[in-house]
Amino acid sequence: MTPKTENVTGRIYDIQGFAVHDGPGVRTTVFLKGCPLRCLWCHSPESQRSEYDLSYLAVKCVGKELCGAPCVGVCQSGALIECEPEKAVTGDRMVTKVKVDRERCAECLRCAGVCPSKALSASGREISVEEAYTRINKDRFVFKKDGGATISGGEPMGQFEFTLNLARKLKENGIGVCLDTTGYAPPEQFLEILEYIDLFLYDIKHMDSKKHRSFTGVPNELILSNARLLAENGASLQIRVPVIPKLNAGMENLEQTADFCARLGGAVKLVQLLPYHSMGRSKYARLGQPYRLSNVEPPDEAFMERALEVFLSRGLPGKIR
Amino acid sequence: MEYDLRVSDRIERLKAKREWYNDGRLRLNSERTRIITKYYKEHESEYPILRRAGFLYEWCATREIFIEDEDILLGSTGPGMRTISFNIEARSHAWIKNCLGDSDEKFRAAWQTPGCVWVDDEERAMLLDAAEYWKDRDIHAHMKGFMPPEIYEHFGSGVSDIHPERTFSMPEGHFVANFEKAIKVGFGEVRRDAARRLAELEKNLTWENARSHAFYRAAIKLCDGAILMSKRYAQACRDKAATESDPARKAELLKMADSCDWIMENPARNLWEGLQVIIFYQTIISADGQQHGQSIANVDRYVGDLLDNDIASGNITRAEAQELFDAFILRIGDMIMLYTSPPNDELIKLNREGRSLFNTLGTDHTISGGIHVTIGGLKPDGSSGYNLASELMLLSFRRLVVPDPSVCIRVNEHTPDIIWKIAIESSKLAGGIPQFDNDEVIIRSLVERGIPLEEAREYGIIGCVEPTIPGKEWPCCGSTGSFGGVTLISVLNLCIHGNVNPMTGAAGRLPCKKLYEYESFEELQAEYERQVRFYVDFQQKIFQFFEVVYSEFFPCISASVMMDGCMESGKDVTWGGAKYNALGVMTNTFANTADSLMTIKKLCFDWKKVSLRELYDALCANWEGYENLRQMIINEVPHYGNDDDEVDELARWCSDVYADALMSYKGPRNCAMAAGSLTLTANVFIGKRTPATPDGRRSGEPMADAISPRQGAALNGPVSYVKSAAKLSHRKFSNGNQLNIRFDPRSVEGDEGTWKLRELIKAYFELGGLQLQFNVVATEELRKAQKDPIAYKDLIVRIAGFSTYFVHMSPEVQEDFINRSEQYV
Repeated sequence: MTPKTENVTGRIYDIQGFAVHDGPGVRTTVFLKGCPLRCLWCHSPESQRSEYDLSYLAVKCVGKELCGAPCVGVCQSGALIECEPEKAVTGDRMVTKVKVDRERCAECLRCAGVCPSKALSASGREISVEEAYTRINKDRFVFKKDGGATISGGEPMGQFEFTLNLARKLKENGIGVCLDTTGYAPPEQFLEILEYIDLFLYDIKHMDSKKHRSFTGVPNELILSNARLLAENGASLQIRVPVIPKLNAGMENLEQTADFCARLGGAVKLVQLLPYHSMGRSKYARLGQPYRLSNVEPPDEAFMERALEVFLSRGLPGKIR
Repeated sequence: MEYDLRVSDRIERLKAKREWYNDGRLRLNSERTRIITKYYKEHESEYPILRRAGFLYEWCATREIFIEDEDILLGSTGPGMRTISFNIEARSHAWIKNCLGDSDEKFRAAWQTPGCVWVDDEERAMLLDAAEYWKDRDIHAHMKGFMPPEIYEHFGSGVSDIHPERTFSMPEGHFVANFEKAIKVGFGEVRRDAARRLAELEKNLTWENARSHAFYRAAIKLCDGAILMSKRYAQACRDKAATESDPARKAELLKMADSCDWIMENPARNLWEGLQVIIFYQTIISADGQQHGQSIANVDRYVGDLLDNDIASGNITRAEAQELFDAFILRIGDMIMLYTSPPNDELIKLNREGRSLFNTLGTDHTISGGIHVTIGGLKPDGSSGYNLASELMLLSFRRLVVPDPSVCIRVNEHTPDIIWKIAIESSKLAGGIPQFDNDEVIIRSLVERGIPLEEAREYGIIGCVEPTIPGKEWPCCGSTGSFGGVTLISVLNLCIHGNVNPMTGAAGRLPCKKLYEYESFEELQAEYERQVRFYVDFQQKIFQFFEVVYSEFFPCISASVMMDGCMESGKDVTWGGAKYNALGVMTNTFANTADSLMTIKKLCFDWKKVSLRELYDALCANWEGYENLRQMIINEVPHYGNDDDEVDELARWCSDVYADALMSYKGPRNCAMAAGSLTLTANVFIGKRTPATPDGRRSGEPMADAISPRQGAALNGPVSYVKSAAKLSHRKFSNGNQLNIRFDPRSVEGDEGTWKLRELIKAYFELGGLQLQFNVVATEELRKAQKDPIAYKDLIVRIAGFSTYFVHMSPEVQEDFINRSEQYV
């Protein structure tokens, strides 16, 4: 058994209050870093690696003229390069910003430590169960009957000791917990955390294991078997199906997905179809990573309605978004 | 919960006619100036209240009457739709001379070029002549004849803005007349009442009550005027019917004529008559001083039973009633006015560019009549005040999508789901239409201001956010005399710079230390508190002075005739005749002041990272050479708006110091002083004249608006945002306050987004928040609108206590709006 402790720390990249897309009601969501999957459509690239990422937000950079560019001085790999001076957005002064050469960057994060404007920052921080709980508890008054906390990621099961203890702490203090998971984790861990989770937000991305591997980097057998295991052991599941044109939005795959969900029976409280969007694109730029999913457009509403019908016709509770 | 968004063809046409905002087909209303100037010239020695009533009678009797082909409700403040009014008594003479009299060339460019507000040559000559007459007879001139000259010595300190040439122009009565009595009792009965009281008075006339003799005679004259005007509209309907070929429209006009013959004199008998009385009465009040922000408030309460009776008796269908509310909003929204103090060159420039005249930077003028409609609430016994009229009224706002008038929803446990749904969906589409007001907090604050609970439950909102008891209170919630309260950040600046405003070099009245001389943070706080108390005392003296003069020369008989208390006491509202009295004073810059105090406390005292001297030098240098210190402040010092208890406590302290000082005084008319916080666009203007502040703000940059956190400082999401704001002592804000939130549209889309916004509003109110309004518009859309104003001409945003078209705002105000924190939910 995993020990009960509040001293264990987790590595997170954000905590967001008033999250409305992470389960029922109004919720506060903890986003953990690190994910075993590499979905092509991922809208939170900063969640993927366990290590801290160097994030650079050019609009926050005040320029060498004002701060003296200490970042360039501390960089040992020559990855920070001064740009051509440009005119400031307000006023007439010139601004010499920096840019990050990602090829050279060793991600030592020294520059983030000295950047006065925090244009260069480490994406990620350590947080204890107690701290995370205290932050979530501040928002308690908006949770009401349906809302609560959501532990998300990345893959929260990847930091199992932290996730388990946080879920337990929340549950013991009367805050409802959703776990947003890819399902890609050891089955015994799911069985252990089950009693603290009110609702699993559970992704099913493709029914064909080969295609699953090519789009996400991992096969789907473990994911599907964990879903069945949870259903058999009394878990409540909200199945989330991202609808990505050209990748998993064929009718055949949607029908197979719906059949699978139907076989899970009463455990499935809702199937949520999430149409692809490209809002995460700017985050890739901040991390200096390429956006790998080109020429895919969001599906139109008419298609989403047809896709939804596939699920509704099997008696599943479903909705778009 | 579906609702019908299609408006009738004639409402569509009427709406198009009123769209002067976007095509500039707007005319200056010179008619009122012509009538009042002529009357005043011919009645030089008439006693002021009789003179006011005499002029108003003349206005009712001679003003031009028009009826549009689409009109089903009648009445306007000027001789046609899209006329913009102004108040010649409110120091307009300088404005007229500057804007109209400079040169023929400039005049034509500003006033007679297509797209400009229009004045013809004849009007121009008349206005110039009127300006000459009023130069020594307007409010400002009379104030100069009273004010001790020392009061102007404060000017330039940044705290108080009493300027010898600019102050004391507008009365800013900001009230709600007794529309309910006008509808349900009528001017005929009020006239009889006044006549009876006059006869009684004559039997026992004393020194104490002799002035009331004039009051009752003025009341009778006003009633005569109101009744006469309605009958003139009746005749105009008949004239129009005579040439009308469509039999249905002809019958409608004749029916309207019959009603116009009946109403004003007698109680309204149906919904149409009730709504018509409101418009007619509002136009008369507008002619009597045109006090910007005089509101209509609880229309659903005034006409709710008339609507119910009409529906029950089959007199009207729901669709017909809906069309009436549509027409009502368009008529009310057409009553707009101009502040007449903007710098003339800027006005001319804006006019030439075809831009709004009302958003001239530095004057916080808005494209609005400042009229506010309140929806729902409670009955005196505490039961639900929502009715069918509430729903139809709100739905008309949703159907029309116009920025004027303002509208608010009173939120309580009875607020129906359909109201929530329409309100939030409307507000997602057009910023701040409606805003949301918290019954529990506002009612409690009114009770603390001295209003009995049963009457407090019937409050309505005036202007932007200011609560009042309609028809019973003379609240002056716009600050009598149109000068604001105390600018808190400027008080702190005096404490930092040794009682000098470094922007002007002007000194305040209380010598004090410089920032680096304070021994402890507590010493600085004590100095700040001493200064705030001094300036609050100064302001309240000015209010007393102003109202002495104003009540003598410019009584407000149009409001007094119906207002509870006035007829009984024989006193005008400006003489203290109303049943309840108040004076609202707005203050501002809580967020900047609290963040600045927090910076000093943390960096210089708690953490000892920076010396007071270094911070002082950085401020004096406007952060030049101190950018890293500025960044440390922005990134490391906690800011208000993030649910940080320590800085939020400082914000609460700042507002309490101010409110407690203000509330310790009895104002003019022995009234309660009511604190509030609202900035309109003045946060930009105040920022322009304020030096660098310890919160990392550079000299000239905008302040935070109202009680909202600083631009870009709220980084913990909307729950933290509202939690910080809720920690202020809202029950001390009986003059209202305002919290702005802007959301990314993608985060609140669909029904789910709607219900979750409701949860956030409820959460804020459960924590004790008073008022909230939101915009749902993405930064990128606003940037596009700046580049292509034509394509975005219909984009409505809530900027402060008013909604307006985004593209009509000045570039500085647009920038400030964009920089306010965008919240994702």
